[in-house]
Amino acid sequence: MRDFDQLIAELARDPPGVKPASHPYMLSLKLIGVAGLYLAALLGVSGARPDWTQAVTQPLFVAEIVLLVLVFMTATLSATLLSFPDGFQRRSTIFAPAWVFALFLVVIALAWQADSPPAALPKHDIECTICIVLLAILPALWTLYGMRKLATTQVHWAGGIAMLSAFSVGALWLRLEEANDSMMHVVEWHYLPMLAFGLVGLWLGGRLLKW
Amino acid sequence: MSDSADLEDLMRRSLQGDASAYAALLKETTRLLRPFLARRISMEHEVDDVLQEILISIHKARHTHDGKRPYKPWMYAIARFRLHDHLRVHYADQLRQAEDIVGLEDILHGDVTEPGLNYESISGEVIKLPEKQAAIVRLIHQEGYTAREVAVKLGMTESAVKVAAHRAYKVLRQKLER
Repeated sequence: MRDFDQLIAELARDPPGVKPASHPYMLSLKLIGVAGLYLAALLGVSGARPDWTQAVTQPLFVAEIVLLVLVFMTATLSATLLSFPDGFQRRSTIFAPAWVFALFLVVIALAWQADSPPAALPKHDIECTICIVLLAILPALWTLYGMRKLATTQVHWAGGIAMLSAFSVGALWLRLEEANDSMMHVVEWHYLPMLAFGLVGLWLGGRLLKW
Repeated sequence: MSDSADLEDLMRRSLQGDASAYAALLKETTRLLRPFLARRISMEHEVDDVLQEILISIHKARHTHDGKRPYKPWMYAIARFRLHDHLRVHYADQLRQAEDIVGLEDILHGDVTEPGLNYESISGEVIKLPEKQAAIVRLIHQEGYTAREVAVKLGMTESAVKVAAHRAYKVLRQKLER
């Protein structure tokens, strides 16, 4: 017991007064804001898809983009909450990306069904995945860096959700930049890799978010 | 003191720099966590080790508590996290040790017709080990003591005995497989 008294005395000597971390809603807003600026800058450089005026008249395309934005926002919020040991005691909000992603899959399924006869496949394929990966590196880095300053107790989930958030930024940019209506291509080379990197994040979280 | 509101109050005061409130909070945390860990870990010295780890983790993560939300779920989340870490390492260590023993026994008893392969035949290698490792291997494999009994006999912790035995097996296996 003397060991514990000594340890407690040492810990209490280390100034206990610390600046509490910002509220997770504020932290998420910051991350979402920075990602929004990043996306706007990317689109400013690359330009939006040439047929965007026509694309925004298609309800399924609009629903897909809106849900992708929501996947990104809820995943960012969830990753931030998961960075607190107790998930900031907001269990239902942590699971929000699952519901939004399920809805997103329904819209993708509907868009796939509506893509009949299927639109012509573009000539490229893996180039899209490479673009998404390259553009997601920065958001992934700043999200994981921010999370490392906190103290997650769900390292794998936190890593997975953080990667889903980062890769949804890349996927969003590509969907707004590339004039492409082939759902088969979009699913195969945009969204499946996005999901796959979310799974890689489960492993990465175990490596990078330990404290 | 065990009242939850008191814990939140102590945490709030701690975050404002009140060292005595912080010490009281950590003492109360220790009191709450000891039975929680004792139900999940059988070795008392391991309970102490994990409890100390948890206290240090709570200290490192204190900026993630704002003093407004309940303290106990936050504290238990950290405690479970460190407990799982400990159990993961503990079971991995046990598995590795079991594999080492099986490996060594395979070598010792692999060929009963070969008179050179028994404990006595490797005692020459065993004595070349560092003194403590040699004593541990001798006590376990010649005299039949368990790791816990060896720990008591040599005044070491059980985990230290296991680690030393693991290192000894590794060296012996390399030498015997040549």
